[in-house]
Amino acid sequence: MRNFLIWAVVAVALIILPNLVSFSQQEVLVFLTINILVVASYRLLTLTGEWSLGHVVIMGVGAYASALVTKELGLWVPLGILVGGASAAFIAFLLSYPLFRMKGFYFLIGSFAAGEIIRLMWKRFRDPFGGAKGIKGIDPMPDFSIGIYQFDFFEPVSYFYFSAVVVALCLWILWRIEKSPVGLTFHAVHWQDKLAQASGVNLRSYRTLAFVIASGFAGIAGALLAHYIGTINPNSFDVEVMVFVLTWAIVGGTGTFYGPILGCIVLTILNEIVLRELGLEQTRPLIYGLILILSILFMPNGLESIVQKFTRRKEAK
Amino acid sequence: MFPKGLKNGFSRRTFLKSTAATALSAGLPSIALAAGETVKIGFLAPLTGATAAWGAPGLSGCEIWAEKVNAAGGIKIGDDSHHIEFVAYDNEYDPAKARTGATKLIREDGVKFVMMLGGDTWPGVQPVADRTGMLFSTLLPSDLSPDTETLLAPTEVHPIYLVTGVQWLAENKPELKTAVMCAQDDALGLPSVATYLAAFEAAGIEMQDEPLLFDPATTDFAPIVTRLLSTSPDIVCLDTCYSDYVHPICEQLFQQGYQGQIISATADFYDQMIAKTSKEFMEGFIFQFPDFDDPALNADNINFKDANGFYAEYNKRFPGQWGAVSWEYAAIMELWKDAAEKAGSVEPDAVLAAMTEGGKGKHAFGDADWWGEEMFGINNALVGDWPVVVIEDGKAVIKGFKSIPDWYDQHGDLLIKHMSAYDQMWNQRS
Repeated sequence: MRNFLIWAVVAVALIILPNLVSFSQQEVLVFLTINILVVASYRLLTLTGEWSLGHVVIMGVGAYASALVTKELGLWVPLGILVGGASAAFIAFLLSYPLFRMKGFYFLIGSFAAGEIIRLMWKRFRDPFGGAKGIKGIDPMPDFSIGIYQFDFFEPVSYFYFSAVVVALCLWILWRIEKSPVGLTFHAVHWQDKLAQASGVNLRSYRTLAFVIASGFAGIAGALLAHYIGTINPNSFDVEVMVFVLTWAIVGGTGTFYGPILGCIVLTILNEIVLRELGLEQTRPLIYGLILILSILFMPNGLESIVQKFTRRKEAK
Repeated sequence: MFPKGLKNGFSRRTFLKSTAATALSAGLPSIALAAGETVKIGFLAPLTGATAAWGAPGLSGCEIWAEKVNAAGGIKIGDDSHHIEFVAYDNEYDPAKARTGATKLIREDGVKFVMMLGGDTWPGVQPVADRTGMLFSTLLPSDLSPDTETLLAPTEVHPIYLVTGVQWLAENKPELKTAVMCAQDDALGLPSVATYLAAFEAAGIEMQDEPLLFDPATTDFAPIVTRLLSTSPDIVCLDTCYSDYVHPICEQLFQQGYQGQIISATADFYDQMIAKTSKEFMEGFIFQFPDFDDPALNADNINFKDANGFYAEYNKRFPGQWGAVSWEYAAIMELWKDAAEKAGSVEPDAVLAAMTEGGKGKHAFGDADWWGEEMFGINNALVGDWPVVVIEDGKAVIKGFKSIPDWYDQHGDLLIKHMSAYDQMWNQRS
């Protein structure tokens, strides 16, 4: 009952939230929601101890796949988003064969190389990927109405509600996976790999599974992005964007489910709202970088450590 | 989320009406300009990142322009004078951030006109432009299409003006017969490659190799330059490379002993390039963006007011930061101001109509025509003469002005052929 009430309050807060912020902050809210799914899915991969530099490109696979099947084949956009997720998962499955012959740092570099190959293919093959200019005029989510309200998906409020529902559902699935025996095995693959192997766990299969699931959800995030802004190009999924995902995860901390999400929310608000509102348009990268360094120096376990300290104190009382 | 009643009628008009109603109810300035009210202009361009060199210097130029105009009383709309203020948003050359920025500038800041660099960022903004009817400008007319009715390219018709540099080169150095080219593989690089190919073909200059397209993430240009020089070309063309590429490529050309002709769209911060190479190496470098202290810009046909004074003020405030776009956004503002005063209104549709009236416009480098039906599907690009600039004794010098329409009348078919080959015609864009 208590949990139900908490979630009901969260749901009401999310419904009210976009109506309390400015138009541009509503836009930021949409992108933040999508990015939360990206970073949360990334964490699932890190559970097995592997860090990838290709996660954003895999997100792009979902974006391109969904954009193409809706634009070229006329598929209904919500189905296209699912196809985007499935395509990203499938590509990750194919990539897992060469990539999981490597571990640790080698996997990191391998994933970067694989991502760059995919990005170069988008650039090279103008048909169907649009080359360097990418794809424009991607079908938006079709408008519909519930009761007296018309959901106009050009408007960030409507798209926020839609993406929040999708992302909430995805986060719930990711949470359930992590808490399932499969999720526990992911932890074991990372922390007790020899023991897990001795217990009959196929390490490579579980790493592949985590990679495929994480990629599927990243693909859904990419598709959500594509159908909102209506355009994608290879630069939208380059290594600079990946660095942002990494910093969200590192600053937030990857020890808990909420750590990377917290990092994503705090850093996005800082970069996109606070620093802009302070009129520091051109000095944002400098200040953002400084805050990153300071947070790593003084919070080596991430923002989640602050939350943990607070909740532990409360429990002790 | 809107009530159903708005479903079928949410057009540009309804948007403007609803914005006005919202503004009134929120106690904000109404959509009609009050006497003495400051007119806000949006500046939506990259101010940080690799493409910042084509945004930030333009904002600096605009601020100088605004101070000058405001000191002279501001813009005269009807009987009232209004000061001008720029509101900037760094879009980081990202379409999603450009969309957020456009929303902020239009729906929160109440700007009357938005200037953009364009390129990758325009498709993210286009739905906002369609809904709001806001007047936008781009420096990259490859953003234009029949659907972009409120988007203008009033200053830089990139990349079409590049033909003038090649034309001048062919006329003045006829002994140079072979060329190679490199460009970043992106929305700026590709149409530029097609244009240079057309210009070289028209000038009878032979390409020794296919244009070498490199990834925008490239940082090591040694192998690229080695490959470019492997055929011993007379001319190395740097296309429309960002300054972050032009500088290291020139350094590599210098280090690998190249002594031939270089042609490029830009040579931003060329003094730094000279410092990294040598004055002798950079001698004769052809590009397209003059320093505005050039005496040629005092000619009667030049519409950019007091170009020399603008350049002096710019260098006083921002020493060493003069670049290709330093004057361009200010030049667009000059056109916008004239059109708004002519229309007696700052509303986007009135200014658009006044600006394009009669199909003629006062481009910074002389009177020009609103053009582009064949290339862009819409006559929203202001095209006339463009300067050819050469570095002589360490200083950029205008060697002459060439007519883009005249070149196009003779060789337009070549341009269309190469643009089509690179899928850059408006009806080929996906």
